[in-house]
This record gives sequence, C-alpha cells and structure tokens, in this order.
Amino acid sequence: MFKWLSGKKAEEPPKAHSLVLEELKEQIKTELNVGSDLVFRTMKRDGEKLILCLMNTLIDSTKLEEVVIKSILNNKETEWTCESIAKVLPMVSITAVNQLNEVVAGINQGKVYIYAEDQPCGILADINKTIERGLEKAETESLVYGPKISFTESLQGNMNILRNNVKDEGLCAEDLTVGNRSKTKAKLVYIKGIADEEIVKTFKQRVQDLTLDYVPGATVLGQYIESDSWSVFPQLMTTELPDRVSIALYRGKVAVLMDRSPDCLYGPTSFFAFFESTEDVYMRWNMGLFLRMLRLVATFLSVLLTPAYVAVLTYHYEVIPSPLLLSLGESRARVPFPPVMEALLLEFVIELLREAGARLPTKVGQTMGIVGGIVIGQAAVEAGFTSNILIIIIALSALGSFTTPSYLMGTAIRIIRFPIILLAGLWGGIGIMLAFCYFIIHLLKLETIGAPYLTPVYPIRLKDIGYSFFKLPPQYLSFRPLTNRTDDKERFPSKKAKQKRDVDE
Amino acid sequence: MKVNLHPKEGLLFNAFMLVFIIHSIQVGVGLAGLPRVVYLEAKHDAWISVFLAGVITSFVLVFMIQMLKQYDSADLYGIHVDVFGKWAGNSLSFIYMIYMASTFFIILMNYVEIVQVWIFPTLPTWQLSLVLILLVIYAVYGGIRVVVGVAFLSVVGTVWLAVVLFVPLQFGDFTHLFPILNVNAKQLFKGAQSTTLSMLGFEIIMFVYPFVKEKQKALFFLQIGNLITTITFTLATLISIVFFASNSLEKTIWPVLSMFKIVRLPNLERFEFIAVSFWMLIILPNMCLYLWAASKGFSRILRKKQKWGIWVIAMAAFAASFFIKSRYQMNTMTDLVAKAGFYLAFCYPVILASIVLIKKRFKRKESKHAETS
Repeated sequence: MFKWLSGKKAEEPPKAHSLVLEELKEQIKTELNVGSDLVFRTMKRDGEKLILCLMNTLIDSTKLEEVVIKSILNNKETEWTCESIAKVLPMVSITAVNQLNEVVAGINQGKVYIYAEDQPCGILADINKTIERGLEKAETESLVYGPKISFTESLQGNMNILRNNVKDEGLCAEDLTVGNRSKTKAKLVYIKGIADEEIVKTFKQRVQDLTLDYVPGATVLGQYIESDSWSVFPQLMTTELPDRVSIALYRGKVAVLMDRSPDCLYGPTSFFAFFESTEDVYMRWNMGLFLRMLRLVATFLSVLLTPAYVAVLTYHYEVIPSPLLLSLGESRARVPFPPVMEALLLEFVIELLREAGARLPTKVGQTMGIVGGIVIGQAAVEAGFTSNILIIIIALSALGSFTTPSYLMGTAIRIIRFPIILLAGLWGGIGIMLAFCYFIIHLLKLETIGAPYLTPVYPIRLKDIGYSFFKLPPQYLSFRPLTNRTDDKERFPSKKAKQKRDVDE
Repeated sequence: MKVNLHPKEGLLFNAFMLVFIIHSIQVGVGLAGLPRVVYLEAKHDAWISVFLAGVITSFVLVFMIQMLKQYDSADLYGIHVDVFGKWAGNSLSFIYMIYMASTFFIILMNYVEIVQVWIFPTLPTWQLSLVLILLVIYAVYGGIRVVVGVAFLSVVGTVWLAVVLFVPLQFGDFTHLFPILNVNAKQLFKGAQSTTLSMLGFEIIMFVYPFVKEKQKALFFLQIGNLITTITFTLATLISIVFFASNSLEKTIWPVLSMFKIVRLPNLERFEFIAVSFWMLIILPNMCLYLWAASKGFSRILRKKQKWGIWVIAMAAFAASFFIKSRYQMNTMTDLVAKAGFYLAFCYPVILASIVLIKKRFKRKESKHAETS
C-alpha cells in the first residue's frame, strides 16, 4: 500500500574532508561513533605522514598487514602520493575519494582508508571480511532426491553457487540496493534471451521504488513488493535451494538474491507453483505426476475435511448413510460440545503442537510430537472431549497441509481452514460453498509480478498444465511455460523428441 | 457517450472464453425447475421444445452478432445512442439496465428460496442475500477479468454435476417418451417459450463484445456455448421425463434437484444437500455477469464511476429482497422477468439488428452517392 510512496530526502551537500590528519581523525570519529572499533594507524617517513583508517571488526587483519601495509612500506622510492600508493597496492578494488561521507561509508563497509597528508584525495581499499557459515543441507525444504546444497547468508557465496549451476552467458545479475539506511546489497538475476523483459522491468521497478530503512531478508522483501498485502496467500516464492532457482531461471523467471539472507525470492509464481517440489523434476515423470496429484488432493482434503465434518454433523446428518451415522453417533455420544467447538478445539491443539514443535530444539521437538499427539489425542477421546473420528479427520488434514512443499503456502492453507470451519458451523454446506466461492474470486483477483495468479487454469494455458498441474513425459515438455512469456520459446527442438524408430531399425 | 468502447489490451479475453460465459450464464436457477415448466406446456415432448428453444436462441445470436459487427467495438448501450440518439437511446438502455438488474435480483431470490426450501427453512432471507450480494460485489470489483474467470471456474467446478444427472436413468422408464411428437406445434412452441427463463443470459454478448479479443471468432464460440447449454437442458428434461411419472413431474417444482435425491454412495446419501450447496457456484457467474453488465450501463448512461453502479444496484436488490415475503410474490416476479426477458432478449435484438442493418445500408448508399456525385 505505502510502498509506492516515493520522494527522496534532500541529500546533504558533499563535503571534502580536512587535509590535516588530526582533524581528519576527529571528523571521522564524530561521524562514526563506534568507540574502539575504529582504528587509526599513522605512519611516518622523512616528514611524510600517512594514515590508515579502518574498522577493526570488519576487516581481515592478515590482508591488511600482508597486503596493504607491507606493500606501502616496501615502496621506498617514490613519495607518498595518492597515485603512488594506488600503484603499489596489489588489489583489485580500490577507489580514490575525498568526500567525507564517502570515506565514512567506505570504512563502514569494511574498507581501509589510506590518506597521505596534504594530498587532494585518499584511497579506499577493500579488505572486508564477512563471517559465513559453511554450506549445509536445506532445512526448510527437505528432499529425498536431488542436490542437497542450500544457499547461505552470503550474497557472494550464493552467486557463486548459482553461477556454477547456470553456466550461461545470458545470466544477468543486476545490482540493486535495498533499504535506504541499511543499504543491503541485492542482485536481480535472470537469463537474458529467456526471461521476458517486461517481467524483469516490473520486478526491478518494484524493488527500486521501495523506500524503506531496512529489509531483513528476501522473504520480507517479497512481502513488500507483492501487489496484495492483505491476502494470506504468498504471491512470490522464496526458496533456499539453488537448483530450484536454476530450474526457475530456465523457465523464464526472475530471481532476487539479497545479502544476509539465505532465501532467494523469485517470480512470477502462480498458485500451483507452490505445490511443485524439485523432487517432481528429479523423479521419473509418472512418479512425479503421482506425487503432485497426491499433494493437490491432500491440500484440497486438508481444507475441506474438517469443515465437512462440522457441516454434516451440525446440519446435514441425513447425508450420512445410517450404518456410518451409527458409529459416528456412538463416538460423539459423550461429547458435550457442538461439532464446531469440538473441531476448533482440536484444530487449535494441532496448531499448538506444530508451533511448539517448530520452536523447540529438534530432539525435544520430537518427544513433544509424540507426547502431544498420542497422549493428548488419546486422553481427549477418553475424557469425552472429542470423537475418535474427528481425531482421524484432524490428523489427516494436518498431514495434508504439511505435504505442501512451500512452508508459506502450507501455513496459508492451515489458516484458511479456521474461517471455513466457522462458516460451516454457521451455515453448513452453504457456508462451505460461500467460503469456496470467496476463495475462488480472491485467487482470481491476485496477481504475481503483473501475471495472473491462477495460471495455467485461468487464463487457461492448456500446454502449461503439463508443467504446473500435471507432469508430462519429458519429450512433451519441449517448450518453456507460456505464462512466463519467454523470449526463447523452445527448450529443445520438439521434432527431434518425436522422431520414432521403425521396428528393427 | 461514445458509441465504441476501447478497453485496454490487458482487459481483453480470448473468444474461447465466450463458451464458458454463455454456458455459465444460461445455466442457473432456471435449470432446477426447467423440466416441469416445459412439461406443463408440451407434455412428454418437452425435450423437443427445449431443443427447439436452443435452436431459436442460436438464430437470435446470429442476429446479435450481425448487429455488433456493424460497429467497431460497441456494446448495446453505445448502439442505442447511435441508433436512437441521446435521449431515446439512453432511455432504452436504462430499461435494459433495469431488466438486467432485476434478473440479478431474481436469480438471487430464487437461489435463496431453494436454500430455504431444501436446507434451512428458518434462514432469514436477508442474511443469505446480503452475504451473496457482498460476494458478487467483491467479484465485480475485480472487473471483467475476474468475472469471466468466475464464469470459467464455475463451469469447470460444476461439470461433474452433469454426470451425476445420469444416475437417475437406471430407475427411469423410457416408455414415458413415447409416442414422440404427440403434441401439436402450438404446444411445442409454447413449451419453447416457457424455457425463456432458463435460456436467458445469452444477451450478455451485447455487453461483453467489446472485451473479446478475436471478434471474428465470437459467433463460433457463442454457438458452441449455446449448443452445450441446449444439450444440457435437453438431457435434463429428457431424464426428468424418463424418471418421473407424469403427474408427479407436474407437482415437483425443482425436478432436477429432486432427482439428485436418489444418488447414493457408500458413504454419502441425500445428494441434494451437496447439489444445492454447489448450485451457488452455478449461479455465482450469473449474478456477477448481470451485475457487471448492469453497472456498466449505469456508468455509461449516467457517466458515474462503475463502482457507484455496483453499489447502487446491489443495495437496491438487497432492499427489494425485504419486499418479497411469499412464494406467490416470488412466482409473479419471476414470471414478470421471464416475460420481460422474452421480449428484451429474444425479440428486441432481432428488431434492433434489422434497424441497424437497414440504417447502415442506407448510410453506405448515401456515402456512395456522395462520392459519385
């Protein structure tokens, strides 16, 4: 809503820093109030003075000593001037600056500022060191099959992984800065010649137009650039799997990687894309198809089962055949609440279990699940709080919601269950249908980076159904998804795939 | 007011979607009671009447498209102004708008009545109608793209109900159909006329036409949509005649819903509860399309924002729902709208098309004269 508000603040007039070393020190100290983190090292030689300003928490001290100081000291022939220092530094990224704000910004990014007295400008040399964790297995998207490597918090590392995956000359990585104050680095990644330029432009525009002080990660960035922030449904996908991003890039999607964020944001992603797992790609197509259908059915049941139970038991018990009604009635005979209360209570318990399990350390979490699931479930039935059948239904629908590969979508599906249960308790089948109609309209209204959210179902792209809804044998997927409006339409020549050999040829 | 509408590129939809638009708007509350209504007129040959009505509809569609083709990209509101001038044209448009608004209202009230009869006898009318109206407003706020999407998903989501319709056949008696063509032509045509309420809806093409991408294909897809509807209706009527004994069909107000009663699955009985609930998805696109077209007229005639039109018409419908208290009033109102629909959707477009065609021919001649002289 507010994210399109633009209007930049008036920038301060640029100011060159003092040429006197002592004054320069004071200037930097007042600008950067970081105490002992800020280190100055003054060097003298025959009346010449040189100062190194740096933040010792951000730099690689071996690099500073071995590369910067050593090469300056070794150079005994020439005077200390801006050019001579630049010449002797065996480094790639050095810049000459003299504006105070640039100097301060540079030091803040882990650069060292080298300044010889009375020179018109000094040199910023990058000796930044970031602490990173090593590459690990993906935690949030667990896989049986396929590459296990996942993104880390370092943008450079992530780009390295991605570039190694996609060795394509067309792979573009445009620089973006996110956050007015934090100035987090980000990269807009797409394959030129495949990705539609309109989508790239929209994506870039939305990130650039953002006027925010700080964005904590790619997931949050996604929330800011989505078109409908009121919806529960995620409109852009975040993933920590590099291979998933690579597959998406080759399908013509656009990705954003952010520094300090282990997630990659990519789009446009339609509703059904959230039910795709990379495993579907690695599996044989028939297994992949089965798994995907299983997931869609599970999701559907997960949304519908509990409300249906509530609706049927509250209003339409005629719908159930008498033998089944008998056992249902028996199991509900001791329950003192109306079905809505019963269902909401049990759904609440399941949500508690899930949340508690997610917050606790893995080992305790498992115990929690067992204790909670079995003990509470059994006890609740024995105590006459709920019926056996409801326990089965709730467990089924909880399982169903966990099959969604995207954690965000899984959560969205669990959340929308509550209003549907309430409506089912209020108006039975009519209530469920009302909710169903509402969600249909809502999903139709959503969009993701300018593309409709419900593709390929509406607007209908029959060919794309083989990509996102079903999965076809590989020889039929010679085209890239139509919905991404890719420039390069074909992945491989379709004729070649359809060549057939004669018998005994 | 401009005669032609030139919507943005992104708002246009494929001509293929017309199949779903026409089919979804024709199938609605009318279908639930259709077999009985026709049976009262045409007896056991009712299905022929229904088929006949479908054929007549397809002829009317040809006229409509011929008329629309004379313009670049105009809807009925624009054509009215072009043909009759500002005042007379706008008054006619206004009448048409009122007709569509009242159809919206009738569909809503009929569905609420079905729900009250079949599921919740004590449910206050205003509650359900308010919720449904808000739902439709939410959809129409999304514009033509969402409305067409609703029509499409409604057809896709309810197509399985047609399969369920075949279940009663196993208890049917095909001798009910014979002798075929035992009634006279007058009865057949009267039967065809009584299908009006169900067949209505195809006039929406005169309003969505500017939004169709490939306009030259429009007629083809319209005919397919109408054909599917005709087949559905004919089958529903046929199955009802086969399934019900003659005097019981006369007394069953919603024979299609009644037939769902006998569907029985191992874990499900009394299927009509599900069918009535699902009927909401069937009537949703009807209400959305009618409200959309009526509110479009509101904005075109009165030059206000369409949002205003949506709220004014929807709230008027909601207010009117308080005045209908009994089945008798409901019946009168429905018959009135059906009669209005017969003249406005079947007869009027044919007349208007002739006028437009004659007028255009004259103009062409005039311009030719002007060129030669």
